[in-house]
Amino acid sequence: MSQNLHQLVDLTGQTALVTGAGAGIGRAIAETFAAAGAAVMVTDRTLEGAEQVAAGIRAAGGKATAAACDVTDEAAMAAAVDAAVAAFGGVTILVNNAGGGGPKPFDMPMDDFTWAYRLNVFSTFRLSQLCAPHMEKAGGGAILNISSMAGENKNQRMASYGSSKAAVNHLTRNLAFDLGPRNIRVNAIAPGAIRTDALASVLNPEIEKAMLRHTPLGRLGLPSDIAHAALFLCGPASVWISGQILTVSGGGVQELD
Amino acid sequence: MPHDPYQRLVNPFQLDGYTVIITGAGGAIGGATAEVLAAAGADVVISDLNLETAQAVADKVKRSTGRDALAVRTDVTSEAEQQALVDATLGRFGKITALINNVGWGEYTPLWEVSMDYMVKSYVLNTVSAYHLTKLCLPHLRKQENASVTFSGSAVGTTPSPEFISYSNAKAALLHMSRSIAAMSGPDLRSNSIVIGSVDNGEATLKAGYDPEMLKRLADSMVLKRRGAPYDIAYAFQFLLSPAASWITGVQLEVDGGGTYKSKMPTGD
Repeated sequence: MSQNLHQLVDLTGQTALVTGAGAGIGRAIAETFAAAGAAVMVTDRTLEGAEQVAAGIRAAGGKATAAACDVTDEAAMAAAVDAAVAAFGGVTILVNNAGGGGPKPFDMPMDDFTWAYRLNVFSTFRLSQLCAPHMEKAGGGAILNISSMAGENKNQRMASYGSSKAAVNHLTRNLAFDLGPRNIRVNAIAPGAIRTDALASVLNPEIEKAMLRHTPLGRLGLPSDIAHAALFLCGPASVWISGQILTVSGGGVQELD
Repeated sequence: MPHDPYQRLVNPFQLDGYTVIITGAGGAIGGATAEVLAAAGADVVISDLNLETAQAVADKVKRSTGRDALAVRTDVTSEAEQQALVDATLGRFGKITALINNVGWGEYTPLWEVSMDYMVKSYVLNTVSAYHLTKLCLPHLRKQENASVTFSGSAVGTTPSPEFISYSNAKAALLHMSRSIAAMSGPDLRSNSIVIGSVDNGEATLKAGYDPEMLKRLADSMVLKRRGAPYDIAYAFQFLLSPAASWITGVQLEVDGGGTYKSKMPTGD
């Protein structure tokens, strides 16, 4: 066998649409995929944030362009997919990274509950629906959903966020069956606590120590830890892997109690 | 600046400087894994009960990658032979960065016709041997950065598989052992497993009691509509050993063509 190691991380000829890519995990995925040779459509809620990341990729010699995409807005999702097709001729990789929410009291207004599902679940499904025909046209593709350990963990105040991420996990498994016959693989990553700017704003040494009490590998995650797993799951090394939820969490659960 | 992805991206799947022991590496999956890891820059130790097949893999590794590989005959059910494997590895390469507990064997057995002796033998080969070899390697693994132990699990260990009662139970135990080691051994050792679906490993599958019709039904039940190739598994091992997975421990990665979520084992009757 004459394996060219680089082929395993080579995304040349691929076009990746990454949502929520203006910062943190999404940004690391966009930059890593571009470094691996993909053309990347960097999207975020605001165009400015996305454009900054795309400009950074271009300055480093990669291929990227930017679009605004509020994933709770169906028209914006369709426009982002159209923009990717217009810029690069198609979409072969979709990373549903945009999402969010956090602890909410049980007595939350119904709108808050619905919002978690619109942001995390409906967006993932709709973008998959919008991108699948383009992937099929290209002979296949890969969809990666960024879920959360909250989709497995049980806790107070996690009814909306936690159950929406559990829905993302099961959506991943079901879409794998819908899209497998079209040679489109669907997988998810469930990240633990990642040292992003968003997390850093609430971090101090005591909180960090508490978070690591049940983490075998003894450190918080880095955006690159997720980006490298994403590269594996969207690249040629994983062509027989579909419907999987890969936990990337240092082996543990980062919780404060 | 011209775009050269390989200069800008330090390949996170690269294994330069790693020494990896692979048990059962004379077989299709272990052999493909040895080749893939060697191509990624690792020194590989190919352990198998059959020295001839181990040496054949080592020769193939040498031909395709130019790297020397060490073939060692090991009966993994023998503590003394396990120690000899560790000693041979250290003697040749001076360290152990990763251990892949890949060896295993199971075959079709009618549910209520398994003797106690057979059941014990299956556990010793599939589960206990991996525990003990990991224990022997532990002090050496702990000295290396990004050290890991990885287990070859099986889809029969995650779905009820009465037709392989001894093998499937032993594999389920192996998966749980991997998670327990992960919980207790960080931060200087990662422990993961691959839940391997039905892989085309030539004669071994047929020897285990499958016939071609069953194998077709298996492939058809998978999302991706084909049985695995040994390389599908090898690349997953490469990922789990590599720096790309340095924050991953305690997981079981299902590499199964998307098959695990449907009951897919033929009943054998």
